Parts: sequence; structure tokens; C-alpha cells
Amino acid sequence: MTTAALAHNASTKTALIDLLYRLGDDSLIIGHRNSEWTGIGPILEEDIAFSSMAQDKIGHALAFYTLLHELGEPDPDTIAYGRGPERFRCCSLVTLDIFGDGKSAPPAALSNNPVRDRVVAQGDWAISLVRQFFFSEADAVRMAALEQSAYEPLAHLARKLRGEIKYHTLHARTLLPRLGRATAESRDRLQSAAAALYPHALGMFEPTPHDATLADAGIAPAEPELCDRWQREIAPIMDGSGLVFPPRSSPVYGGRTGKHLPELTEVLDALQKVYRLDPTAIW
Amino acid sequence: MSDTQWPVYEVFHQASRGEPHVHVGSIHAPDGDTALLLAKEQFGRRQACVNMWVVPAEAIIATEYEDADLFEHGTDKSYREAFGYETTKRAKAVGDREEI
Repeated sequence: MTTAALAHNASTKTALIDLLYRLGDDSLIIGHRNSEWTGIGPILEEDIAFSSMAQDKIGHALAFYTLLHELGEPDPDTIAYGRGPERFRCCSLVTLDIFGDGKSAPPAALSNNPVRDRVVAQGDWAISLVRQFFFSEADAVRMAALEQSAYEPLAHLARKLRGEIKYHTLHARTLLPRLGRATAESRDRLQSAAAALYPHALGMFEPTPHDATLADAGIAPAEPELCDRWQREIAPIMDGSGLVFPPRSSPVYGGRTGKHLPELTEVLDALQKVYRLDPTAIW
Repeated sequence: MSDTQWPVYEVFHQASRGEPHVHVGSIHAPDGDTALLLAKEQFGRRQACVNMWVVPAEAIIATEYEDADLFEHGTDKSYREAFGYETTKRAKAVGDREEI
């Protein structure tokens, strides 16, 4: 089918819209999570690099939401700020907070930004780095496949984002082997993060009822196929960093059908706080 | 006070192929590859860039400022100053403009 036909056929259009929500919501939420480190990341240069990647992901979300708008969905701001958690289609990996085992004792508020106070007091950089590793490698695999998508606007976008995503993978590919082999503490932190995050990372590839439609129409490969490619990419990097996969991991699913962890509600409360004050305000 | 940070790398940036690499600043990093990774976001994100160099600052051998008089001319030698390079650049800019 041509691009125009894909956008008009009811079943391919529904599947395409679902795919674009998954892509956009993953980008928006990981972008927001990573931006929680802005200004307080470890070392100045890395703070800037990580914040810049967070900006990239917010930009990718806008690009996917713009494609949705072209298919008749609401405008990008309404998509990002006007939906409750049950209408988001992101995976659980991107929603997780960065507190690891430090969940028990939130510190007293130091400023008017309780999220930031908590990141300063309890944030675990290893969680963010390993999440960024798992996510960016999946992003690269997925977007490389989408460069061949039969839906040309999506293929065009995938080609346009290639360079930024290449940097995102280079970032983790550079830092992970160094930190994995630096000190016992750095290795242990990364290994704990990898063990905790891996089941959620597998959940990035939650199969959906639209997989077959998308694959048959040449819009996107089925999720299990992408998961195989991703695992082949990350295995040697994990190994080269002295990290091992947790045994018998079962994937955490649910995000692609709107069944989320409570963390997503926390993210959206922060992300949508200002918009909710007055949705009709002009910026 | 001694510097307790990572080594300093000087960063050079090339705006397009064939142009000279221009010094744009310096960063701290534990090694060359990490220096390139971090330099990309420090210096590559606000201007066009096709290529970047990082050089360990300690690898640079420099003159002393107290020897700046080494470069002064005792007599008028303006006839051999390299103004031609600037002229070439201006000529190229005019040419580029006229092509459009």
C-alpha cells in the first residue's frame, strides 16, 4: 500500500496511530525522567551531555506527536499534556524513578521542587545510565528498521533522527565499559541497576494486537523480532562491561495497553502541572 | 592548589570539510574517547560541525608569554604579513554570494 492508502485504510491507520503513540510516549517520558538530572548530574560535562539527550528525546516526542496530528489526532501539546496515564502507551522502563532501594525515606523538602530535592538526596545515576543504555540500543534497532517503513513520513523521520540516536548509543557504549570495570562500587551499582531494569527493558517489546497488521503492511517489524535484534546488540556490550543478565527474567508488560506503574502518575503530575493550571493559556 | 580533576583536553572544531580545525575550548575527561563524547555536547551542539579533535593539554608545547617579544618585528616587515589569507577568504565569500 502507498503512504496515502495506509493512512486511509481503517486497520492500518489504527495500528499506525497505536505505534506512533508508543514511540512518542516512550520518548516523552524518558526525556522527562532524564531531565530530572539537569543541573545536578555527576560532573559538569556529563550533566550537559545527559540533559542534551533528554532534550533530543522531548524533540523526538514532538516529531511523533506531529505525525499523529497529521493523522487526525489532537495537536502535540494536547497529546503531551492533556491525557491521563491510562491513555499513555509507554513501556514501564521509561516511567521508573531513579531511587532504587532508597524509596523508604523521602527527605524533607529543601525547596519548592520536591522531585529535585529527592534526586539530589537519593537519585542513583547508575539507574539512569543503564536505562539509557537499554533504551537507546532499542531505539537504534527500532529506528533503523523504521527507516524502511512503508509509511514514508515515519521512514523520513527515522532517517532524520539517526544521528542523535547514534550519539545516545555511543554515550552508553563509551561509559558503561569504563564504569563497569572501574571500582567494585561502580560495578555493583551498574549490576544492581541492570538486574532491576532488565525485566522492564524486555517490556519495551511487549507484543501488541497491531503487530501483525504493521508487519504485513511493511510499516514496522513485529516486536519479538526487534527484541531478538536488541538482545544481540546489547549482549557483547554487557559482557565487555563485566555485567551479567539476571537469570530467568520475565518481561514486565502492560504499558502498551495503558496499565502502568504508579510512577507514571508521578511523572505526569510533574510534567503536566503547569498546563493543568490553565489548559487554554497561550504560551 | 593542585588540580584534582581529570586531565584537560583541548577541543578543536571543524565547521565544514576543508576548513581548518579551530580551538573552541577545553574539557576534563578521564580519557580521549570520553573526551570526544563529552566535547560533542559541550561544543558541537551550538554550531555546525563535521569533525572534532581532542588533544591532551599536556601534549601541547607552548612558548612563554614573557617571550612574546620573539614575535615582534624590529623593523617594518608588513610586506610579508599573511594578509593574503584573509583576502582569499573575502574573495571566496564574494564568489559564493554571486553564485546564489
